[in-house]
Amino acid sequence: MGTAVSIEVADDLPASVLGELIADVCRWLHEVDARFSTYKPESEVMRLRRGEITAADASEDLRHVLNACADLWRDTDGYFDAYAGGPLDPSGYVKGWSVEVASARLAAAGSTNHYINAGGDIRMRGHHPDGGPWRVGIRHPWEPDKLSWVLAVSDGAVATSGTYERGDHIINPRTGRPAQGLRSVTVVGPDLSLADAYATAALAMGEPGLSWLSKLATDGYDSAVVTDDGRAFSSANLPAAV
Amino acid sequence: MRRSTAAAVGTLTGAALIVGVRLSVQPPAAPAAAPPSTSLVDNPAPEATSKKPGGTAGGAGKKTTEPGKNKSGLKDGTFKGKGANNQYGTVQVTVKIEDGKITAVDATYPTLGNSATINPVAVPKLKQETLQSQSAKVAAVSGATYTSASYRESLQAALDSAKA
Repeated sequence: MGTAVSIEVADDLPASVLGELIADVCRWLHEVDARFSTYKPESEVMRLRRGEITAADASEDLRHVLNACADLWRDTDGYFDAYAGGPLDPSGYVKGWSVEVASARLAAAGSTNHYINAGGDIRMRGHHPDGGPWRVGIRHPWEPDKLSWVLAVSDGAVATSGTYERGDHIINPRTGRPAQGLRSVTVVGPDLSLADAYATAALAMGEPGLSWLSKLATDGYDSAVVTDDGRAFSSANLPAAV
Repeated sequence: MRRSTAAAVGTLTGAALIVGVRLSVQPPAAPAAAPPSTSLVDNPAPEATSKKPGGTAGGAGKKTTEPGKNKSGLKDGTFKGKGANNQYGTVQVTVKIEDGKITAVDATYPTLGNSATINPVAVPKLKQETLQSQSAKVAAVSGATYTSASYRESLQAALDSAKA
């Protein structure tokens, strides 16, 4: 599994405090992994799969995740589906949610300027060490060392779903086959768990995802999309850096 | 109007005996009958002309070049009724007559920008733009989830090691 997590804390705090803040984030992410990993046979998700526990008996965090996945299944017209691969797998939601919570914990502990990047999904707060907003590049869908867009965000989340890293891993639940039509979908908005799920759902939809994404703008979720044939689209208020 | 016209089509095409039917080309009874606010193109004067079809703005109505009178008393041609306004827009009926028989009836409800009651709220679409390929200075990179292995080759890793 092994998602790489990058954390930058830009607050003017003593080194020992910064160290403790980052250690707390790591502890939280390990706790999430132990509870939700589908690669760990004794995780709570796997025990739920095997019927050793019921959803009603599950931990508060697991119950929250199950409810959120149900809401997202409805809100994405079934394209975000924790059961898409057969057995329950809430990883698509957990990834963004765990970082969203980690950022909230950092803020509660006194860090108002930081970003956390977990495998390409980013939650940021406040400003960069240089004083301005966090500048985030969206990885070009064909050229790994280039960027397609550069965004400037102070408080918010950026999530990208794409077919160029892990191949055909996103299934279109209608066809049961790998998603086609869109190569990269980036969603920018207030909550990383939602941005992540929306990006995944839109990618699964294929080209119809373009019009679905445009409706999210009124809820504060902007997007940047590249199709399989190289066309680029973005919402009017995408926070592009100038 | 539409239903009764369809019934008339059935009768006319199936029947051996064609009764002279006065075809009154009227739009359907609209809930809020009002004089049409749009001036319609090419309001029918079902008279013989030898004009070629075309030359009419707005598409559907074309006059045929074959005007003659038929046994049914119906003149050949394509006839548009006057538009009638209701709360959904302007309703217009077009009837096509060939060889004295009604061969096509169409009622159209053009979508108007101000028909907000049944048209969905206009949602701005994503705008197409040129796909850029740039190397800008950034603090972080958002991309599709990378494995630990591909992370090592990634831009994010380069950024992280530069800061270390």
